[in-house]
Amino acid sequence: MFLQLISQWILSPVRHFRLFYQFVRQEFSGQFAGSLGGFLWLFVTPIVNISLYSFVFSVVFRAPIPENFGDVPFVVFLMIGYLPWFAFADAMGRASGLLLEKAPLITKVMFPVQLIPMVGTLVPYMVHGIALFVFLIYLAFKGYLAWTWLWLPVALALQFLFTVGLVAILSAFCVFLRDVQQMVALMMTTWFFLTPIIYPLSLLPARVQPLMMLNPMHSFVQFYREILLLGEFPMVHFQVMCIAAAVSYVFGGWLFMRIKHAFGDVL
Amino acid sequence: MYSISVENLCKDYRIYARPQDRLLELLLRKPRHRVFHVLQDISFNVLEGKSLGIIGDNGAGKSTLMKTLVGTLQPSSGRLDIRGQVAALLELGAGFHPEFSGRRNIYLNASLLGVPDDNIRELEEEIIEFSELRDFIDQPVKTYSSGMYVRLAFSIATMVRPDVLVIDEALSVGDIAFQKKCVQRMNEFRQQNKTMVFCSHSMYHVQELCDTAIWLERGRIREIGKSEDVVAHYEDWCNSRRVYTKGEEHAQAHANDAPVSAKDCRIIHTVVRDLDGEIIDEVDPLQDVVLELKVEVLNDNARCYFGFALMKNLEEVISSYLATDRPDVENGPFRKGEIITVRVRLQNLALRAGNFHVLGGVCDDSGLLWYETRLSKEVKIRPNKGLGIFVMPSEWTVERN
Repeated sequence: MFLQLISQWILSPVRHFRLFYQFVRQEFSGQFAGSLGGFLWLFVTPIVNISLYSFVFSVVFRAPIPENFGDVPFVVFLMIGYLPWFAFADAMGRASGLLLEKAPLITKVMFPVQLIPMVGTLVPYMVHGIALFVFLIYLAFKGYLAWTWLWLPVALALQFLFTVGLVAILSAFCVFLRDVQQMVALMMTTWFFLTPIIYPLSLLPARVQPLMMLNPMHSFVQFYREILLLGEFPMVHFQVMCIAAAVSYVFGGWLFMRIKHAFGDVL
Repeated sequence: MYSISVENLCKDYRIYARPQDRLLELLLRKPRHRVFHVLQDISFNVLEGKSLGIIGDNGAGKSTLMKTLVGTLQPSSGRLDIRGQVAALLELGAGFHPEFSGRRNIYLNASLLGVPDDNIRELEEEIIEFSELRDFIDQPVKTYSSGMYVRLAFSIATMVRPDVLVIDEALSVGDIAFQKKCVQRMNEFRQQNKTMVFCSHSMYHVQELCDTAIWLERGRIREIGKSEDVVAHYEDWCNSRRVYTKGEEHAQAHANDAPVSAKDCRIIHTVVRDLDGEIIDEVDPLQDVVLELKVEVLNDNARCYFGFALMKNLEEVISSYLATDRPDVENGPFRKGEIITVRVRLQNLALRAGNFHVLGGVCDDSGLLWYETRLSKEVKIRPNKGLGIFVMPSEWTVERN
């Protein structure tokens, strides 16, 4: 039973690839439908964002060069953590509305509902992936390019699986409890500030620093920074990422598959 | 070979005092609800290539049954088997994305129904053609009217050629011309040996399109059988109920005189006969026909005014004949239990093409309030030479100098 649910969960994007593809396409281009700029916004938004952060942190706050990162400017240090986080946070923020928005479809049409949290996660990752890509090109010109960059797709994939699991749980819960929506907003703000993104880990008291290993997002952020900026491969963080991704993906999927038959009754 | 087979199907809705109870129950498996039975003990089979109509009052469980058949709701108990691919039209364009063009929505909707992209490309033209939306197909569907919405949805659902088509009250939105096309398409469907489940408040459509019908009442099957019979019994029941309340009001308002109220009579049948008295469903142009209405009187002192109309469809009257302005036609008062047969002989039926129904009815003396009406079976006009919609008796002369 457990294995059957899990295999359905894992295989559904392959088995229903056409539908998956149509959904992704719909959601992705749906964001720009009706707007004149269209896909241009995908590039304009991150460039403006990155410029703003550069301005605030290097001109206004004059943030110090973070420890252990050589002469990496603070803004670069910040953005490498911030961009993947933003994809994560965006997906989580949308999670609670995913199934509610699709209520007419879920109650009237028979289709593999588990595609919805997957699509709902993939689309923000695509959008913010473009921002990351733009930034990486900039970094490459600045001479950061290293072999360890090849780990980036692996890390992003793991972060994606980690997110899908959580999104599946949140979206399913929100069908029954609308309060989840408010809770998620609060939770994400808290999580953001509890993860060393806009500050380096070294600023935390030494006692607290080991606790950060319990926060998978810290491992992700740290991993990106080390492979992209230092050309190193941090094994410990990689292990945390693998475990977090596997647990979240499998457990989230199992939970979703287990209660999805009740959606029709509630929506 | 059964295409749909349902056995002892039950659907309960669990009613929770608080929304979070549902979640706790799912996770902890400890009951925290009251049970409301929406469907109880539903059993029926539909043979491949047959169509089933589902009728009943609002809240009788029709939509729940449809959703269970389609699979978006899980039955609480019982067995449900459907062979082949199912396409459902339970709501106008469920799954349409309002910002996208009709064309894009064709692709998304068809892939929801499980059609591969290559096939959709082939079907696209056909769908656009059938929906008559060629000029609008590249506009976002949010600009469509509800009629256009349903046209597109219906075109997609039927064009993907599912084995089983489930339609919920979808026809009522389109205009008459499109309704006609839908009916044609559904008939083609039946000819291709596909199975159809059709739920509607339009008794006419159920009668015309379905072989068998189910009358649902409060979640149970009250009657299952040939669609004409079930529809007739359901209509009778509706009429008798409506009449009951109306009759009471009447009794208070006009305690003294005895006007016709719907309670006073019941129509047994409306039929068309030829001059030999045989019931017919085909006529030749210019044939004489007899329209017959058989009424059972349910109350003493009832006054009944009779009327007939030839109907092209449910709305459009071709020609009507009322007894209200004919003092020579008997109008009672009638005694309780009397069976009255009213006949009108129409001479030289002037219709040349098309089919019609005969509506027989009983009304008040003004002819405005119709208490009871009953539609006959469809009567076809036999193919004949000549063009045009009607024909008159004609005499010819040819003179040669």
